[in-house]
Amino acid sequence: MAFPHRPDAPELPDFSMLKRLARDQLIYLLEQQHEVDKLYKVENKPAVSSSEQLCFLVRPRIKNMRYVASLVNADKLAGRTRKYKVIFSPQKFHACEMVLEEEGVYGDVSCDEWAFSLLPLDVDLLSMELPEFFRDYFLEGDQRWINTVAQALHLLSTLYGPFPNCYGIGRCTKMSYELWRKLEEEEDGETKGRRPEIGHVFLLDRDVDFVTALCSQVVYEGLVDDTFRVKCGSVDFGPEVTSSDRSLKVLLNAEDKVFNEIRNEHFSNVFGFLSQKARNLQAQYDRRRGMDIKQMKNFVSQELKGLKQEHRLLSVHIGACESIMKKKTKQDFQELIKTEHALLEGFNIRESTSYIEEHIDRQVSPIESLRLMCLLSITENGLIPKDYRSLKTQYLQSYGPEHLLTFSNLRRAGLLTEQAPGDTLTAVESKVSKLVTDKAAGKITDAFNSLAKRSNFRAISKKLNLIPRVDGEYDLKVPRDMAYVFSGAYVPLSCRLIEQVLERRSWQGLDEVVRLLNCNELAFTDVTKEDKASSESSRLIMVVFLGGCTFSEISALRFLGREKGYRFIFLTTAVTNSARLMEAMSEVKA
Amino acid sequence: MDCYTANWNPLGDSAFYRKYELYSMDWDLKEELRDCLVAAAPYGGPIALLRNPWRKEKAASVRPVLEIYSASGLPLASLLWKSGPVVSLGWSAEEELLCVQEDGVVLVYGLHGDFRRHFSMGNEVLQNRVLDARIFHTEFGSGVAILTGAHRFTLSANVGDLKLRRMPEVPGLQSAPSCWTTLCQDRVAHILLAVGPDLYLLDHAACSAVTPPGLAPGVSSFLQMAVSFTYRHLALFTDTGYIWMGTASLKEKLCEFNCNIRAPPKQMVWCSRPRSKERAVVVAWERRLMVVGDAPESIQFVLDEDSYLVPELDGVRIFSHSTHEFLHEVPVASEEIFKIASMAPGALLLEAQKEYEKESQKADEYLREIQELGQLTQAVQQCIEAAGHEHRPDMQKSLLRAASFGKCFLDRFPPDSFVRMCQDLRVLNAIRDYHIGIPLTYSQYKQLTIQVLLDRLVLRRLYPLAIQICEYLRLPEVQGVSRILAHWACYKVQQKDVSDEDVARAINQKLGDTPGVSYSDIAARAYGCGRTELAIKLLEYEPRSGEQVPLLLKMKRSKLALSKAIESGDTDLVFTVLLHLKNELNRGDFFMTLRNQPMALSLYRQFCKHQELETLKDLYNQDDNHQELGSFHIRASYAAEERIEGRVAALQSAADAFYKAKNEFAAKATEDQMRLLRLQRRLEDELGGHFVDLSLHDTVTTLVLGGHSKRAEQLARDFRIPDKRLWWLKLTALADLEDWEELEKFSKSKKSPIGYLPFVEICMKQHNKYEAKKYASRVGPEQKVKALLLVGDVAQAADVAIEHRNEAELTLVLSHCTGATDAATADKIQRARAQAQKK
Repeated sequence: MAFPHRPDAPELPDFSMLKRLARDQLIYLLEQQHEVDKLYKVENKPAVSSSEQLCFLVRPRIKNMRYVASLVNADKLAGRTRKYKVIFSPQKFHACEMVLEEEGVYGDVSCDEWAFSLLPLDVDLLSMELPEFFRDYFLEGDQRWINTVAQALHLLSTLYGPFPNCYGIGRCTKMSYELWRKLEEEEDGETKGRRPEIGHVFLLDRDVDFVTALCSQVVYEGLVDDTFRVKCGSVDFGPEVTSSDRSLKVLLNAEDKVFNEIRNEHFSNVFGFLSQKARNLQAQYDRRRGMDIKQMKNFVSQELKGLKQEHRLLSVHIGACESIMKKKTKQDFQELIKTEHALLEGFNIRESTSYIEEHIDRQVSPIESLRLMCLLSITENGLIPKDYRSLKTQYLQSYGPEHLLTFSNLRRAGLLTEQAPGDTLTAVESKVSKLVTDKAAGKITDAFNSLAKRSNFRAISKKLNLIPRVDGEYDLKVPRDMAYVFSGAYVPLSCRLIEQVLERRSWQGLDEVVRLLNCNELAFTDVTKEDKASSESSRLIMVVFLGGCTFSEISALRFLGREKGYRFIFLTTAVTNSARLMEAMSEVKA
Repeated sequence: MDCYTANWNPLGDSAFYRKYELYSMDWDLKEELRDCLVAAAPYGGPIALLRNPWRKEKAASVRPVLEIYSASGLPLASLLWKSGPVVSLGWSAEEELLCVQEDGVVLVYGLHGDFRRHFSMGNEVLQNRVLDARIFHTEFGSGVAILTGAHRFTLSANVGDLKLRRMPEVPGLQSAPSCWTTLCQDRVAHILLAVGPDLYLLDHAACSAVTPPGLAPGVSSFLQMAVSFTYRHLALFTDTGYIWMGTASLKEKLCEFNCNIRAPPKQMVWCSRPRSKERAVVVAWERRLMVVGDAPESIQFVLDEDSYLVPELDGVRIFSHSTHEFLHEVPVASEEIFKIASMAPGALLLEAQKEYEKESQKADEYLREIQELGQLTQAVQQCIEAAGHEHRPDMQKSLLRAASFGKCFLDRFPPDSFVRMCQDLRVLNAIRDYHIGIPLTYSQYKQLTIQVLLDRLVLRRLYPLAIQICEYLRLPEVQGVSRILAHWACYKVQQKDVSDEDVARAINQKLGDTPGVSYSDIAARAYGCGRTELAIKLLEYEPRSGEQVPLLLKMKRSKLALSKAIESGDTDLVFTVLLHLKNELNRGDFFMTLRNQPMALSLYRQFCKHQELETLKDLYNQDDNHQELGSFHIRASYAAEERIEGRVAALQSAADAFYKAKNEFAAKATEDQMRLLRLQRRLEDELGGHFVDLSLHDTVTTLVLGGHSKRAEQLARDFRIPDKRLWWLKLTALADLEDWEELEKFSKSKKSPIGYLPFVEICMKQHNKYEAKKYASRVGPEQKVKALLLVGDVAQAADVAIEHRNEAELTLVLSHCTGATDAATADKIQRARAQAQKK
């Protein structure tokens, strides 16, 4: 079932180095430098420890600083003195120190930094674990993480050789890339002359393709993420999965043999596969019968452990599948998927709109409703004014007035907009290009310029052939293209772009698409003329998602890799899904 | 060539000493050396002279002049001494001149007489005045040791990192010691002093009396003592004209000598070279110079003039009014080659090469002789080494030529030693030139390293030479050329007579984009000299915008700093500048600045959102950003305010803002919310329970669940809840209540706007099949099949589907046919399908 890679596919670079590096740094930092002996999670509650010293390992966020300050001040009131240390990861921000100063505790706290930015979640997946990146950059226009991204790229290029070919699209991508280049130039000589291990690097901003991230995921790994929320490569399966009263934390990566075979599969195949697997397992157990003592000894000492392990994993995933099935049928998942597909294809818009309306009226799920509204808006270049108002009104009635702010956020990010009646495409374009050519504006993200953006999804979809023409049933068992990750209804836009660019080794011939994506000046190709890369490394491709990528996209690209003999490595600011995107945009009462 | 060894003087059996001229001094000394305080830096360093008017009892009516010369006698600086009386002068390892004043203040001057800084040696020194002072060098840097009028010692081992140490008292010391010196043992500085016939060693903790082993009897006083360059050896001169030489630890005696001169010598210094077995001391009187060592006879020179000795690593420099000489032990390699009738391989090779030049066959004979002994490699090495120790280029050349000649007959002689020696000599000859005046020997040069030599050239502002050397030695740019260019630029900016434009242009022309050059450092220097405009011009050349910012802030060009920070893409830097600006500008100007920098603005807004809400409001106000202002008030309505009135007021402000923003939708929604909030409050008062902060939908649901149907409907009408929603709402709520009777009544109240399928669904969710079936019959035809399937009536569903002749419905029903019970139904469908296909 799990497709093998082509025999000539390149080996993945060894990311365990990064893991070891991070672990050693952390141990050194905590044990040697700061003499930490007990770890607690930073939560917004008073510290229980009676220790003489408190050490905080935190993201450089103002909220965290206020928490630290409140602890220090509480101690002061209680008349106790202890040492406080704050370790910022990946870096210290001036604003944080400022907050400590304003809260009057700057003198009591000593600060340190831990430049940790790359966590290998799997053999082919690196995460910067910065879920806040999405909101910070795409909503607030805050560029603080760009430096972190550039640093991460720099680290990778020092470890795995220079990147001979780079492609990118998006404003944030461009800024990060330029900053990274600057870093490389400043420290030149280090990577020069080294053989590149990673032949191509493709960077893209999440806002280039919101559609894919907004779709319901139906590939097993994505579905597990949508249903149970994968955190840092592991998931907590609750009692409904484990069918016991305890929940179970399971690491989801290539080490899990069972998971590795089904992770990229369309969900409809997973059950069949698992039951086949169960039968095989049974058969292997059954071999015991008729064994003599010696064979039995062999069996117990060599195979049994592996079988038991497999057995355990199998039962976990079967449990997970059952639980997913239960949840998905309850909310009439089929209807939902049908609506999504209709939106992607652009059919029956009225029907879909009333489906969404009903969804809101019935208070099915605030996040889901929001997601559908956004999907409708992006695929249709914004909602028609009447729907825009009525859907919003309905939503506010269902979920409360604070979501006025949510809508304002979504509008600013370009996720949920109103069709502007008089705005022809060219008028918008001239506006955008004016913004781009203006030097000051060109350098910065004007959060508002997305207001003038049109998503042009329909046109892009046509140009890139994102909706495969299906004659007859799409065979999900033996997929033909990347569309299988969405049941054969839609090829992820992000993945299609990557495929096209890699084929052409540039953006050439994609000018129209780039224009439609509103990325006229923001798509770049940086290819070294003399190709020093070996043929093997030239088929190793790193894809960098700024603002998060979904498991569906990862699965789709893994599929593409198998088809073309590439291997993909993924670097993302965080693994995301539709719910996370929507939550990042939502305003909730504290 | 026979006369080459003419200036060699044997000391004992094994060593020769030679003295040769480095420079004939062309300096225009107005005073006699003996009337001056003199300090000459080691490693061929500069010479400082200060005529000492304070020594004579005359009133200091004329201000003395401090003069600094290069080792070749070229004037480097001359300045009128305006400060207090100076006791002692000395050079630090960085070639800074330390002038110790009587009051314990040490003034530090640069090589060009530029005042650098000053520091004091402490209160005790100030009170008791300085009697004597020494500047000494250790591996940590340069130290100052002071003998005060109270006969106490204070010292600092490193003037760069001043830590004063007061040494313990010497018991019973009534008068100044006859002589004293600093020793450096085990990385700690000690003081050795002589009082009458006794010697005392002072370390931090204690004062201990010491006796040199094997000291001749009859000593009643020590007149002079000398420590070797490396602090390893010590020499003592007694009033009996006896010289004791031994280790500085005073544990071992090397030798002794009796010169029978009882007059106190003017100077006594060690003259030895690293790794040489021979140790000798040079003693100078007014007109006599004596080299004494482990030999019954000494070497004597007559001094024609008033001279001054400078101990070096491998010899002694002697300068006077007219000459500057170097006295040292002849190195082994030179000795072997040049000693009269030497048969050393090097000597033979040199001879062979000379014969070869004369085209004489003797060359072959000599060569053969060396080769037969198998000593050619050694011969070449000897010649190379000896070349290094020669001062005269012609001698260097002839030795190198010999080496090169010998090399031809060797198969495998690694070339680097030869090449490196050629390069080193070229560098040495260049810096020994009269105009440069750094008479380094080869050993000193190696000890000093090329980096330090380059630093010293830079210090002397000999930039072109330094660059030429870097290029010649092919040093990496960052360590070599760029560093020197940067120094040059830093000097250039101090040229006040050149206009800003010219300086900036000149610097950029020379520096270009040389890697490793920091324009911001140069700019910082320019700013330090008070040339702000020049600094800004220079910063323009800095490619890393991040580097420009701190200096711009320092120069109070905050707005420029802001745009540079934004260009750098480093948000943290932007923020730093913002806080600066915030403190520097008044609020209005600050906001105006932000307005032109959207990136900075969004950054600041982020900060304000968490820390300064009021400022955030002001920001929006200033921008007339009513939309955001509205959002701000909305947030305040539930985050900041608690009382209903306050919340309503916040919402009112929000609504006003939204109207101004022409966002009628938001304004209306806000007004609705105000109404709802008031109403919820009233409901709580009247009905009890919790209503505030529920959404409209939830409010109505709560009312229905509480059995207040009338109120619920009133609310729905007031807020124009669409029928569909109301029906869903009531349906769900009533089913939750399991009030099936009311539900049925409701279903019959009028025609359902959402159809009756939802009724079936909801009833089934509550597992009430009975009720569900009631509604299934009322479901419209297009959803009938679904409804029937939901209530589990497969057979009837099949009938309806067949009636509809709908393929999709048939399939759907078929998929619900499970087990034996539905077998008949399945058959029926198959039949119907077959029939349909026939048609």
